[in-house]
Amino acid sequence: MATATGIHHRSYRAELALRHTRAEYARLGLMIMALVAAPYVLGNYWLGIVNTILIAVIGAVGLNILVGFTGQISLGQGGFLAVGAYTSAILHERAGLPVVVCVVIAVLTTAGIGAFFGLPALRLKGLYLAIATLASQEIIIFVVRRWNWLSEGKGFIDVSRLNLFGWEIKRETFEFQWYWVLLVLAVVAVLAARNLFRTGLGRSFMAVRDHDIAAEAIGVNLTRAKVTAFAVSSGFVGLAGALTAHYTETVTWERFTLDVSVLYLAMIIVGGLGSVAGAVYGATFMMLLPALLTEVSDAVKGQLPFLADQLPAIKNAVFGLVIVLFLIIEPRGLARIWQRTKDYVRFWPFRY
Amino acid sequence: MKHTKRYAIAAASVAVLLGITACGGGTAAGSDDKTPIKIGVIADLTGATGDVGTPYNEGMLGYIDWINAKGGIEGRKIEAQSNDYAYKVPAAEELYKKYVAGGVVLIQGWGTGDSEALRKKVASDTLPFMSASYAEVLTDPKESPYNFVVAPTYSDQMRVALNWIAKDAGGKTEVAVFHSDSPFGNAPVADGQKWITEKGLPLGYKAYPMPKTPNQIGLLSQAKSQGAKYIVIQNVSSPAAQVAKDIKAQGLDMKIVCLNWCSDDLMVKTAGADAAEGTVMVQPFAPPSANKPGHKDVADYLTSKGSSLEAKGLHYVQGWYTMHVMAQGIQKVLKAGDALTGENIKKALESMDAVDTGGVVGSGEVKFSAESHRGSTATGVYQVKAGQLVELEANAKP
Amino acid sequence: MSTFLSLSVYGLADGAILALAALGFVLIYKATSVINFAQGEFLLVGAYTFYAAFVVLGLPIILASLVGVLFAVGLGIVVERFVLRPLIGESPISVIMVTIGLSAVLRAVVQMFFGTSVREQPAILPRDSIKLFGGQIPLNRLFVIAIAAFVLTAFTVFFRRSRHGIAMRAVADDQQAALTMGISVRRIFAMAWALAAVSALIAGVLLADVSAVEQNIASFGLIVFPVVILGGLDSVPGTIVGGLTIGMLKQYVSGYADPGLAEVIPYIVLVLILMVRPYGLFGETRIERV
Repeated sequence: MATATGIHHRSYRAELALRHTRAEYARLGLMIMALVAAPYVLGNYWLGIVNTILIAVIGAVGLNILVGFTGQISLGQGGFLAVGAYTSAILHERAGLPVVVCVVIAVLTTAGIGAFFGLPALRLKGLYLAIATLASQEIIIFVVRRWNWLSEGKGFIDVSRLNLFGWEIKRETFEFQWYWVLLVLAVVAVLAARNLFRTGLGRSFMAVRDHDIAAEAIGVNLTRAKVTAFAVSSGFVGLAGALTAHYTETVTWERFTLDVSVLYLAMIIVGGLGSVAGAVYGATFMMLLPALLTEVSDAVKGQLPFLADQLPAIKNAVFGLVIVLFLIIEPRGLARIWQRTKDYVRFWPFRY
Repeated sequence: MKHTKRYAIAAASVAVLLGITACGGGTAAGSDDKTPIKIGVIADLTGATGDVGTPYNEGMLGYIDWINAKGGIEGRKIEAQSNDYAYKVPAAEELYKKYVAGGVVLIQGWGTGDSEALRKKVASDTLPFMSASYAEVLTDPKESPYNFVVAPTYSDQMRVALNWIAKDAGGKTEVAVFHSDSPFGNAPVADGQKWITEKGLPLGYKAYPMPKTPNQIGLLSQAKSQGAKYIVIQNVSSPAAQVAKDIKAQGLDMKIVCLNWCSDDLMVKTAGADAAEGTVMVQPFAPPSANKPGHKDVADYLTSKGSSLEAKGLHYVQGWYTMHVMAQGIQKVLKAGDALTGENIKKALESMDAVDTGGVVGSGEVKFSAESHRGSTATGVYQVKAGQLVELEANAKP
Repeated sequence: MSTFLSLSVYGLADGAILALAALGFVLIYKATSVINFAQGEFLLVGAYTFYAAFVVLGLPIILASLVGVLFAVGLGIVVERFVLRPLIGESPISVIMVTIGLSAVLRAVVQMFFGTSVREQPAILPRDSIKLFGGQIPLNRLFVIAIAAFVLTAFTVFFRRSRHGIAMRAVADDQQAALTMGISVRRIFAMAWALAAVSALIAGVLLADVSAVEQNIASFGLIVFPVVILGGLDSVPGTIVGGLTIGMLKQYVSGYADPGLAEVIPYIVLVLILMVRPYGLFGETRIERV
């Protein structure tokens, strides 16, 4: 119950609730309305962008579990996305399994491979782990490029249109139908991540991040925690990869390079490490940025032709600048900025 | 405790923001009288193949400018949206979605990666798609019903190259194929091997993907241990030039046969006339030095803009004529008075008479049919002599 | 024999350039404990600055080199002051990400000014080859090895003998103690970054000369990681050994096995070293105190 002196609870049940104040419920309601209204209001192009954002949200939330909550730096997301995408695509196209089965198997496979690549984390920390995951990224991409069996020599896999037990995605309403599928999955992913950190396992992840030796001293099984963190995080990322495969209907290795790993890291850094909502904000922000830049460039094409000519370079420059500026000015990201805004409003006219 | 709340706020603000900037949904272009013909152009200006993608794009836009100045096609001007995707397939897909939403009737693409990735989408969205990718799979209407390829495919070029090598060697010899490590590079490799078996050519054949390293010595020593005397290169000019330089530095007895993307002045200039001497180039598009009748229009246009054909080079002509062929299809539809939809343009392209390109593309004529979207099969074979491309054979067919 | 010799020479040349690039990386890490993911882009900027001075402005080679060095020093100091200093004390991942962001900005700026097509630069090193033991050895590669050896020796002497070099080692060893001895740690940080940029400049120019002035130069930066892990993150002799080893290994694999595999071999080596000797061949074992 919210009061001027803070938020107080009168029962354990109330403390465990996801929303505490009326303002929070109001915002939740607004959000639900916006999410439901979005596909009716937005045109196809922007809805397509929202769909890619939803997929990125799943991936970013997954990565945040590993990097933000467990403190293990990982540069290998591109590789795990690739594992998820290829597994799902190959099972769907060649074994003819229904989509849901393919995606589930893809998630489990990626989780398994993630756990395997998490084994170095038991011996390495910080920078060394980052470099090891960088190596894993490069090695996975190399294997994907060279292993001809994966794409039967074509270099890419065509994935047929999504067909869920007879509910088909049609051309005219492609983005619209995908929006609902992705929205449901994204919400499930976010809630799952949120709940994970209310469990003992989730707390053990955070203990490992804060001080792993001390965590071990109080009885957290480090091996189990770290490997599970890698597995869970990779599962989320594998889901994002599988969805990418089905949504874009092609699987090429170009989608899963080191640049993509860096992009996901940027999402959670800009959004705020160690915060599920931060991952969502970060994913939205980083995926919207290029699209907005394109719009701006189109709008000012007449006055500033330089912008349109150099658009890819400018997109890269802005990407880098955003990361650098966020880290210098607000290292705890968008989540913190939002928190400060709310605090300002809540405590006004007092300073704190 | 308030984490999911933030998800709420984020999504809400995103949705509101998007709502404000929402664009309308796309519709197919109508068959109005003088409305402009909208087309989408996906170009690589700053990416891995940007050095050839830029003149190609300029040639295409140059053609559009030229024809608009003459009143457009049947009185309707072409309105081209051209954007750079830097050879990254995801960016190409974004641009594609944008163009579809903007109501284009056809797409001019660029690379093999994106052409192959988009072919199913353009088929279901009924948008004719021409590109600078000459991969064989794009010529088969069953696989890629809406893709059209104006020039001989990479596989055709490979077959011509192998024929020439068999003739030049006059006996048994070994061929090493250096290709880019990408769908573009892989395209002709398997077909080359099949051709050798099919025609019983006495050629040993081995393919090597090219890594991006400062020297190709490792690759060349592999080729040397294979005993290769001929190196077919399926890559762009600058890696091919590196191979030429390394062959010269090592004093190896190997002859380079370039397929179309490294067969140009850029390769000769980067390698140096010395290192490039004797290189055989399979180039379906006639270089400016060949002075074909089809070069005249392009040269005149460029001079009127204060430039010259020599300055812009072969790829400018390539882009120009690719758009020219597409324009013939559009013209057929408009002349017949039909609605300008993607489907009608496709049918027009398949049924129209051969397009005369004044000897610039392949054998000079480009013709599609309902069974084959391969515009031509003949190509020119040139050799570099004293820094210039000299024609060895015209209209070489596999 | 001749193949082996050519491969060795090419490998040593590439390895020497790698060692130079990695040297800058190690300098920064030793002095400031920062992992510089933008090292490859420093090479890129160095190569293009020299290109701009030498080809675009047409300055004579000595003057162009001077311009390059001044620019590199300036870049290093600016980066340290405005990008890295605000992040002192932040978590390692933040520092890594800021250098990644910096690398994207640098690459984009070079692209804006110079485009992505390959640029021609007149050869600085001689292009001919000489016949040695049956193999054709290109002269420019031999020059690269010689120049790199000279620069690396100069740096080693700098660290052993000069005041500033010793000051840098002191700061790397124990910042607090160095401060109490009156060493300006801020100045040392700036110097580390400046020197790293200069060694990257030299490496970049050499690389541009043997291959081409193009965007691919930046990808050399990623291979620096296997080199420094092999040699040890805080060891200069280790870097030299690591660089030469990786360079030669890549060349041998490319020549005798699969050229494509040669691209990924450094990472496989990296993983193996991390499993067996995480601190590299010459690095110091880290002891973590609770």
